[in-house]
Amino acid sequence: MKSALLLCLAAFGAQAADPLSPADAAAWLQRMSDASRHLAYEGVFIFQHGNAAMQSLQIANRPAASGKDSRLTAMDGIQREVRCTRNISMNLMTEGGHVRVERRLNNRHFPDLLPANAGALANWYSVRLGEPSRVAGLDCQQVELAPRDAFRWGYVLCAEKDTALPLKAVMIDEAGRALMHYTFAEIRLGAVPRSASAPMPDMPAIARPVATERVGVKSLPPGFTRITAVKRKLPNKSGEVEHWVFSDGLTHISLFLEPASHPVETMRGQSKLGMINMLTRQVGPMQATVLGDAPWPAVEAIAMNLEARQPVGAPR
Amino acid sequence: MKSMMTNPMRDPAQSNQADESESALSALLDGELGDQAARPILKRLSRDGAELSQFREYCAIGDALRGLDRDMPGLTSRVMAALEDEPTVLAPMRKASGRRPVLWLAAATVAAITWGLWNTGPREAVLVPLAATQRANPAGTESGNAMPYLAAHQDFTQAVVSPPEMHFTKVTLAGAER
Repeated sequence: MKSALLLCLAAFGAQAADPLSPADAAAWLQRMSDASRHLAYEGVFIFQHGNAAMQSLQIANRPAASGKDSRLTAMDGIQREVRCTRNISMNLMTEGGHVRVERRLNNRHFPDLLPANAGALANWYSVRLGEPSRVAGLDCQQVELAPRDAFRWGYVLCAEKDTALPLKAVMIDEAGRALMHYTFAEIRLGAVPRSASAPMPDMPAIARPVATERVGVKSLPPGFTRITAVKRKLPNKSGEVEHWVFSDGLTHISLFLEPASHPVETMRGQSKLGMINMLTRQVGPMQATVLGDAPWPAVEAIAMNLEARQPVGAPR
Repeated sequence: MKSMMTNPMRDPAQSNQADESESALSALLDGELGDQAARPILKRLSRDGAELSQFREYCAIGDALRGLDRDMPGLTSRVMAALEDEPTVLAPMRKASGRRPVLWLAAATVAAITWGLWNTGPREAVLVPLAATQRANPAGTESGNAMPYLAAHQDFTQAVVSPPEMHFTKVTLAGAER
């Protein structure tokens, strides 16, 4: 316990300043959030998860009346592209001469990781200014988000000196270890990229709203709300499942519900560094799978607070 | 990686006939049998539909692991990356029995890619390979395959890292008890 605390202190820097006042914290968060959507920029960023191989992606973002208009292109591995506007997000994959298009349910990606109303995050994270730094040739200010409880991971962002655009984002665990790392390798601010939106192809919606709810959640960890509840098909899985998502704006935890065809054994899953946690259990007639890039207590709290509900007006 | 692939195969359990024939198939696939030994097995394969389909499955898994399967583009690199990234998950698997080595390895690889799965009971704090979990509870195989959930959840997370569709179906099915 003590050593964990020391590690935490080390991670956040012994000489780190005091936490910002709630108003200052909210202002910093909001500036970074707005910059990632409203600025014109293009560049290349590198992504690394744990010790896994790095991936590099090209990104172009331009201000659009509706909000954002961004295009990401994978520079290694399978030819892959992600296009996002404020309302629509899709994957385009080129394999064997064919382009496969898939709708995404959400339009988040680096550097646009903070929610639109980022100021509210100050309720769940204490925010400090760290050391000045330099990323992709630009001066930036480290901004550290330390969770106020055990239900979310911490972040260290580096906000470009003038615009506050995040040039770097590192997700860290309670011991200060980096779980996930994004950093720009090169960036041109104010560039006017060619339109990110070659017209988006039409495609059927992959999800539809949930009609009746057979499972309820008694309570959620502080700050979490349900942001999505849809029926959808999952890749490589027959039939539809319900996909709910709970979020505090920065942390996202999915709940998948499907009829339990047999008694479900309670199972826990975890990725190597513990970044992703998962729990599968039976709730009434349903199999519930809770999965998130969130600490175990958050996943466990949601999974254990599920309860079966009698559908209103259901025939007996 | 290399030693894990070979160790179980050098010491195949031969407690019954089924295991014996599986070991023979596995050895054949690995090129460990000489012409003399291979001939009767190939002959048997041409007669026995069940065994032939099992052999095909072994080949498909082997191809997938070597990246030769067109249905699973990029699988090898993802498996290799996962193996590099997940050493502690893999470690306990060395102790597992050598039965059905090829299938066992394939299923264990799936487990290694994303999850160490274990029962939540307080005494079960040890990482168990996915295949072993499934063997203990054949009815629970569906819940053991986390890939579709992980892929769907990616809509809300990093977005760009790996394809949302990960074609592991074949490998996973092969890990299940028949």
